[in-house]
Amino acid sequence: MNKREESLSEPVWNLAELLERVDNDQELLRDLLNIFKEDFPLTMRSLESAVALGDLKNSARLGHTIKGMLSSLGGVRTAAAAARLEVIASAGETASLKGALEALKGEAASLLPELEAYMGEVRH
Amino acid sequence: MKILIADDDALSRRLLEKTLERAGYEVTAVENGKQALEHLCKLEGPRLALLDWVMPELDGPGVCRAVRKRSEQTYVYMVLLTSKGTKEETVLGLESGADDYLTKPFNAEELRARLRVGERILLLEDRLVEARENMRFRATHDPLTSLLNRGAIMELLARELHRSHREKKSTTILLGDVDHFKQINDTYGHVVGDEVLIEIANRLLGAVRSYDFVGRYGGEEFLVVLNSCDPAFAPGRAEELRKSVSNCAIQTAKGALSLTMSLGALMSSDWGLRPVEELLHEVDTALYKAKASGRDCLRIAQPVTKTEPPTAPLSQPVRLRR
Repeated sequence: MNKREESLSEPVWNLAELLERVDNDQELLRDLLNIFKEDFPLTMRSLESAVALGDLKNSARLGHTIKGMLSSLGGVRTAAAAARLEVIASAGETASLKGALEALKGEAASLLPELEAYMGEVRH
Repeated sequence: MKILIADDDALSRRLLEKTLERAGYEVTAVENGKQALEHLCKLEGPRLALLDWVMPELDGPGVCRAVRKRSEQTYVYMVLLTSKGTKEETVLGLESGADDYLTKPFNAEELRARLRVGERILLLEDRLVEARENMRFRATHDPLTSLLNRGAIMELLARELHRSHREKKSTTILLGDVDHFKQINDTYGHVVGDEVLIEIANRLLGAVRSYDFVGRYGGEEFLVVLNSCDPAFAPGRAEELRKSVSNCAIQTAKGALSLTMSLGALMSSDWGLRPVEELLHEVDTALYKAKASGRDCLRIAQPVTKTEPPTAPLSQPVRLRR
């Protein structure tokens, strides 16, 4: 199984791992999700601009940031996609950069509804 | 215990903050390396730090290097947080001065355990510093009076003389000797003699400014260095010290004892850069004159002029009399 296949075998969102990390603190979990909801779209937009400009340095930096926030939140597959983008940008593989961004957006599209759904649940 | 978190990712910062607050830490959270360095370099700043590797302004290893350069500071235990995982990067992080590293996303239990290691190291450092300070104090202070001992005050005097010469300021050296101290020991015993010495030391310390030096020079002899003391005021200051001993009886286990002190003084108006031993010989001569004049008085030494040879060769040890 290659890395891509390995990451696909992971859940989109590992809630159990996240709950363990926050010691089952629902209030903290809500805080984290709110921070993510605010920061993630902004960081993604900056990443999209950097990729469009072929700015490898900023693409790598922003890929790293997104990887970090998704790892903390248990968004394992999306974090892996961000990590791949970071590696590609750091290696200067400009040709693969747009593909890596699309893959990241695809994974994020699976993750975000799960997070939204959970936030809706815990809000009530 | 205070701990610093430095991470540019708000989500990670919040998670760390809450996890550590729950573990009982007093948390300061910042978002870049430059702010982290500012906090860690504060006098009472945190001594435990969790530093993200990749940060704007200054990265985690950069903070570690900058903190380690400040060798005079108390030790800061630093843990690098990294999503980088290669051996080369681990080595680079530790070589930068980090004590440990933790891979993101962290496990809360592991994080707390690693910080407890840091606390143990810091506790060990505190104990070592305390032991070193105790040894330094014992090596430089008289065990009975807690005043500077002879070696320490001689060293401070030599340093002060160089400084006052360089800055063209005046220094006054006073040598005091408790009058008839032997009779106190002979009549009331050494325990009372010790009580007297302790009280006199306290009175002398209370009568000088915070930047003057007082030391126990010998048995009942005290050396006082009045730094940056205008020669015009020196005799008055010396008289105050003398009277601090004689003005009020000393309470001892054998009752109140009235004591006096004779003083010799030397002012640095024109002594230039002469050896400490030579100056002490002159102040000792002045003290001898005070004793010969009936005790309980001050005598000012007359500095040797350039045409006059010193009264004793430089190699001759200073001999003090009671």
